Amino acid sequence: MIEALLQTLLNGAASGGVYALVALGYTLVFSVLGVINFAQGALFSVGGYLTFLLMGGKIGVNGALPGWGLPEGLPFWLALLLAAAGSGLIGLLVERLAFAPLRRRNAEPLLALITSLGAGVVLVNLLQLLMGAEGYAFPQSTDALAGLPDVLVLGGARIRTIQLLLLLISAAAVLVLSLWLDRSKGGRALRAVAEDATTAQLLGIHSEAMVRLAFFLSGGLAGLGGGLIGVSVSLPGPYFGIGYGLKGLAVLVLGGLGSVPGAIAGGLLMGLAEALVPSSASGWRDALAFAILFGVLLLRPSGLLGRRTVEKV
Amino acid sequence: MIDNGLLVQMLLGALLGLSVYLPLAAGQLSLATPAFYAVGGTLAALLSTRWSALGATASGGFPVPSLLLELVLGGLLAGLLALLVGRLVLRLQGIYLAIATIALVEIVRVAILNLPFTGGAVGIFAIPQPFATAAGYLLPALALLALAGWVCQRLEGMPLGRAMAAIRDDELAARCMGIDTTGAKLTAFVLSAVLAGSTGALAAHFLNTWNARQGSFDASITTLAFVILGGSRTWLGPVVGGLLLTALPELLRPVGDVRLVLFGLVILLGPVLAPQGLITPGLLERLGRWGEGGKP
Amino acid sequence: MSQPLLEVRDLSRRFGGLLALDRVSLAVQPGEIFGLIGPNGAGKTTLFNLISGVTPPSSGAVLWRGAAITGQQPHRLNRLGLARTFQNLRLFEGLSVLDNLLVPLQRHPRTSTAAGVLNSASHRRAERQRLDTAWQLLEELGLSALAERQAGTLAYGDRRRLEMARALATRPALLLLDEPAAGLNPAEKDQLCELIGALRQRHQLTVMIIEHHVPLLMRLCDRLAVLDFGVRIALGTPEEVRRDPQVIEAYLGTGTGGNAS
Repeated sequence: MIEALLQTLLNGAASGGVYALVALGYTLVFSVLGVINFAQGALFSVGGYLTFLLMGGKIGVNGALPGWGLPEGLPFWLALLLAAAGSGLIGLLVERLAFAPLRRRNAEPLLALITSLGAGVVLVNLLQLLMGAEGYAFPQSTDALAGLPDVLVLGGARIRTIQLLLLLISAAAVLVLSLWLDRSKGGRALRAVAEDATTAQLLGIHSEAMVRLAFFLSGGLAGLGGGLIGVSVSLPGPYFGIGYGLKGLAVLVLGGLGSVPGAIAGGLLMGLAEALVPSSASGWRDALAFAILFGVLLLRPSGLLGRRTVEKV
Repeated sequence: MIDNGLLVQMLLGALLGLSVYLPLAAGQLSLATPAFYAVGGTLAALLSTRWSALGATASGGFPVPSLLLELVLGGLLAGLLALLVGRLVLRLQGIYLAIATIALVEIVRVAILNLPFTGGAVGIFAIPQPFATAAGYLLPALALLALAGWVCQRLEGMPLGRAMAAIRDDELAARCMGIDTTGAKLTAFVLSAVLAGSTGALAAHFLNTWNARQGSFDASITTLAFVILGGSRTWLGPVVGGLLLTALPELLRPVGDVRLVLFGLVILLGPVLAPQGLITPGLLERLGRWGEGGKP
Repeated sequence: MSQPLLEVRDLSRRFGGLLALDRVSLAVQPGEIFGLIGPNGAGKTTLFNLISGVTPPSSGAVLWRGAAITGQQPHRLNRLGLARTFQNLRLFEGLSVLDNLLVPLQRHPRTSTAAGVLNSASHRRAERQRLDTAWQLLEELGLSALAERQAGTLAYGDRRRLEMARALATRPALLLLDEPAAGLNPAEKDQLCELIGALRQRHQLTVMIIEHHVPLLMRLCDRLAVLDFGVRIALGTPEEVRRDPQVIEAYLGTGTGGNAS
C-alpha cells in the first residue's frame, strides 16, 4: 500500500518536474518580452527526436532518409545535453523569425501568438517530413543509462531508474536555473530586463542579448523535457510535444505568469494531482490540469504566486 | 482544383473566423470557438444517429427541416454553455482569458473523448446525409454565412456594436460612459458560441463522422489565424481569411508533404508582412471610391 | 441648505502602505461648481476614482442624493447621473469623433439589440435622435468640423473638449472634470472657463473640478476643498480658502500656486 503510494508520488513528481521545465521555458520568455512563445511544444518534440538520433536511433521507413542514423550512439547524458543545446539553438531561430520582426515594428503583442505558433507548425511538420509520423521507442539497453540497472528497489517499492533520473535531472535543471537567475551577473541582468527594459538599457545591459539568452534557455529547457520524456516513455509522433506545451501553459498560469517559484510549485502540483487520478478514470487525466487551471484563474487570476497588478488611471 | 466539397469547407472556415472575430471586436481574445464548434457538432451527430424522430432513413438520408432544427439546437446548446462559462471567464483580461479559453477547449475535447455515449476516439460515424452530394451543403453554408455577415454588418450601426468597439479601445472609459461592459462582452461571447455551435452541427453532417479531434487546440490557433491574417478591424477580414486559409492546404496538395510546412510559414510570415491583415477599413474605403469611379 | 447632490463621508483609500486618502468628507450642492486643489499626490484623482466607482474605497461612504452608492460599478454610477473626464485623456482613439459621442448616447434613447439587428422603425428613429444630440454637442463644443476624424488624430485642446462632450452625452447631473485645463495655453484656459460656466447653465450641471491653475479655479468655483497628503485641510468659498493659514502654508505659501504641472 505504502509502496504503491510512494511509486505514485514519484511518478507524479517526475512528470511534474517535466511540466516545471516547460513552464519555466515559458516564464523566461514571458518575463523579458511579456508574450507567450507557442512554439514551446514543438521545441519539446524537437528535443525528443534529437535525443533519439544522438543516442544512435535510426530513421524509420516513412522518414526522408529511411534507415539513416549516427554510426555510433552517444551516451544518454551527452545526447540529452546536446539535444537540449540544439533545441536552444532552434529556439533562437524561432526568436529571429517569429518575434524579432514584430518587435522591430512595435506590432501588437497578440501577433506573436500567431507567428510563434506558425513557427511551431513549421517545426513539427519538418520533423514529420524527416522522421515520418510513426512513433519511436528508445533502445532500452543497460548501457543506455550508463550502466545503471533498469529498476531500483527503494523501501520495498520497485522504481524505474529512468523515472528517478527524470526527477533528478529536471530538479537539477530547475535548481541551477533559479540559482543562476538569483546569483549570477547574467541572471540578474536578465531579471533587470524583465523588470524594466528601458532602465536596464540605460544601465548598459544589452536587452536584445538578454532576449536571445532567454529564448536559448527556454528552448533548451523544452528540449531537455522532450528528451527525458522520450527516453522514459517513447516518442509517439512529431506532435507529442504539443500536449506537454499546453500542460506547461496551464502550469504557467497556475503558478503565476512570470514567477519562477510559481512555475516549479505549479509543475509539481500538477504532476502529483495527475498521478493521483485513479486508473479507472485515466482518460480524464488530461483534463485535470485544465480544470485546476480554470479553478485557479477564477479564484485568483494572477496565479498562485503571481503579482497582482492595478490599472493606473 | 476547387471542388464543391472544398468550397463548403471554405465557407465553414469563414463562419469559424467570424466566430473568433465577434469577441475580438469587443477586445476579448477568446480561443474557445473550437469548443463550441465541437459541442454543436457532437449534439447534431448524436441527435441524427440516435433520435429516430428526426427522420434519418435506413439508407443514410436525412430530412432538411431536421437539419435546420439541429442548427438551431446546436447553436442554442453552445450559446447556453457560453452564457455559463462567459460569466466566469470574461472577468479575465488579455492573455489570461486566452489561456482560460484554451483550457475550455481541452476540457471539452477530453470530455467528448471519454463520455460513454460519444464513441470514444473513433467518434460517431455514419451521420445521415440531408444532401446527396457536397454541392447540397453549399446553400445552407452560404445562408448561414450571409446571416452571420449581415448581423456583423448591422452591429456596426447600432449600440451593441459601438459598445464593443469602445471596449476594445478602452474598457475602463467605456464603463465610465455608462456601458455595461460585462453585458456587452458576454453578448459578443454568446453570439460567437451560437455561430460556432450551428457551424459544428452543419459540419457534422457534411463530414459524415465526428470525433473529439474536431475541436482541439490546433483549431483554436488556426481559427485565430483566419482573423489575424484576414484582418480584425472589419468582419470581412475573418471571412476572407477563413476562405483562403482553409483552401490553402488543399491547394498545396500537389506539393505533397511539404504543404503543412508551407502552411506554417504562411501563419509565421503573414503577421510580419501584413500586421493589419489583408482586409483593412482603409482598403475597403479605397475599393469603395474605386467602385464609384472616383480617384483617391 | 438643501440636500447635497453628492456627499462623501470619511472616505479613505489605502494602496499598500500608502494612505492616499484619509477620512475625507465633503458635500457638493446641486448647481454649484466645486473645486478641488492640492499639490501633486494629494489624492485628488484618487477621490474622483472613488466617487466614479473606478476604485473601491477602503472605508467610508459615498452618498448620491442622500442614498449610499459606495462601491457600485462605474456604469451604474454613470447611469445615476455621474460622469467624468480623465486627467490623461481616455478617448476611444480608434473611433471617429462622432462615434465617441454615439457610444455614451446608446442609452438616450434606449433600444433593444433585436430592434437594432432588425433595423426596425423604432431603432431608426432612435438613431436619428442620437445623431441629432451628438451633432448638437459637437456644435456646442466647437467640434462639428472634426466629426468624421479619428479621435486619436485630434489636436490636444480638441481632445480635451471631446472628452467633455463625451461625458455630457451621458446626460449627467454631476460632471467630474479632472484637470481639464492641463496643457492648454492661457487663451484656451480663458475659453475653457467660459465654456464650463455656459455648459453648467445649459445642461443644469453640478460640476466638480480638479485643477492646478489656482486663479482659474478662484474665478470659476463657488466653493473649494483643499487636499494635502490625502487629508482635507480646508473647505469654503475661494475667499475663505485664500485666507486659510493652513492652505497658505501647505500649498499657496510654497510659491507654486501658479501652475504646478
